[in-house]
Amino acid sequence: MTTAIETFERDRRRMLIRQRSQAALGLAIFTILLLVSFQRSQFFGSDIGGDPLGRMADFLQRMNPGLKPELLLEDRQTRGSLHSWFYALPIWLRAAWQTVEMAILATALGSVLALGASFLTAQNLMPFAPVRFVVRRILEAIRTLPDLIMALILVAAFGVGPLAGVLTLTISTLGGLGKLFAEINEEIDPRQLEALQAAGAGPLKKIRYGVMPQVLPNYASYALIRLEGNLAGAAALGIVGAGGIGLELQRSITYTEFDTYLAILLIIIAMIFLIDLFSEAVRHRLIGLEKA
Amino acid sequence: MPRQAYDQALAIAPDALRAPWTRRARDAVLLILALAALVGMAIDLELAPGALMTGFGKLGRFLGEMVPPSSGGQSVRILKALAETFAMAFAGTVIAAVVALPLGVIGAKTVVANPALHFAFRRFLDIFRGVPALVWALILVSAFGLGPFAGVVALALADIPNLAKLFSEALENSDPKPIEGVRSAGASPLAVMRFGLAPQFAPVATSQTLFFLEGNFRNAGVLGIVGAGGIGFELDERIRIFAFDEVAFIILLYMVAVACLDTLSRALRNRLA
Repeated sequence: MTTAIETFERDRRRMLIRQRSQAALGLAIFTILLLVSFQRSQFFGSDIGGDPLGRMADFLQRMNPGLKPELLLEDRQTRGSLHSWFYALPIWLRAAWQTVEMAILATALGSVLALGASFLTAQNLMPFAPVRFVVRRILEAIRTLPDLIMALILVAAFGVGPLAGVLTLTISTLGGLGKLFAEINEEIDPRQLEALQAAGAGPLKKIRYGVMPQVLPNYASYALIRLEGNLAGAAALGIVGAGGIGLELQRSITYTEFDTYLAILLIIIAMIFLIDLFSEAVRHRLIGLEKA
Repeated sequence: MPRQAYDQALAIAPDALRAPWTRRARDAVLLILALAALVGMAIDLELAPGALMTGFGKLGRFLGEMVPPSSGGQSVRILKALAETFAMAFAGTVIAAVVALPLGVIGAKTVVANPALHFAFRRFLDIFRGVPALVWALILVSAFGLGPFAGVVALALADIPNLAKLFSEALENSDPKPIEGVRSAGASPLAVMRFGLAPQFAPVATSQTLFFLEGNFRNAGVLGIVGAGGIGFELDERIRIFAFDEVAFIILLYMVAVACLDTLSRALRNRLA
């Protein structure tokens, strides 16, 4: 009897020691990584002034546009009015609209390319394994390359402007959606394909009548989610010279107008918010139609 | 299908074999309108086919220059920049998690029961969720000067609202039964948190944070473009002087590092799950 209890106690102690030493080891690795990270990223570095929190507060202070309640509706020349804060609103809205256009064009083009790629990578539609393998690897390579690095190279090749941005987002949409579309293709009901096969349909007819009706609502839903992401992406791409509202952000920084930056940031946020609402409404309708 | 049978079928059910012409006409019109809108946008953005052709020519030349990749004799400097990129990602993720935790608690429906407050707080987080790290980095570099510090703060700012949302969802989804069990055993509130909630919440939260670390390592690589340190700075510099063999070297090295971190993090996440 005593031996059973002793064995239990011994095993339990061993287990506890093992668990605790594992936890301690994990904690130690984490702490070292964190310390090294803070050191390497000069987080508390005194050469840049130290005191990270104080500098954050100072920074927020500089973004404050200094609105005065009694002057809100005054004209552009009066400091403290809304008009002097958003002094170039028409230009910014125009740039924001360009960003939306970039995102929509890139999503549309990318989706069409992804559609093609998805048929080349789906196991049930593409019988030749080497083609599937090659297309899949290409899509994977696109997904691992960060958009902005691609944008840098494309801006160097295509020049500053929206063209490089549209191309970057198109390619990254192809990478992202191609994979998702292929997964949808592989989950379709095979019976409809078999029926078409039995009726002697060719590969194109099989895709048109056997696959499309099943997958289109899902495709559209994924493409719309992608549109939301592309819009934020397009706003960021402008910073590296790929057109749209990001360019205006860059400009305001060049003149160190922090309050202007905040104004443009608010426009970006509103733009993303509106597109999200739109995309969500359409997606819910699509799902509703699917059920009906 | 024999012609006769087809005609018979059409006579019995005219809509079965093809959609009524009204719907087909509507679909065609919609398709044409959508295409016209896209073309209109392309014209508005001044996307010229000529620029596309010359651009592809240049791109082809760049890609040609990328082989074979070369470190340009600066592999130590590049490795240091890579380490700095990871340091930025790690520090940014940890700060984001630390700040997001209390925000996540406030955002959980089970903690702040008032629906209006809950809604307002969630919406407040939603507002900032879409802002990419690069947009934060641009202004932070201007405020704090060149260097990785701005990058760390940018990554943290971009992650905080997203992580807070995930944390509050994880809290909302935790099973109340273990918590009630611990409480009914007469435990103090702290012990309830430690033995009722933490075992459910911690693995989920850690795994999500690791996921964000992976994302941040990808994002950190580009923050250098606006001067926030790390590998992006080295990359930008070399693209500007068209040293594409070195660009290719850095991109390949970086992608290998990303893949390594992803694998490590996935292994850790699988252990947690």
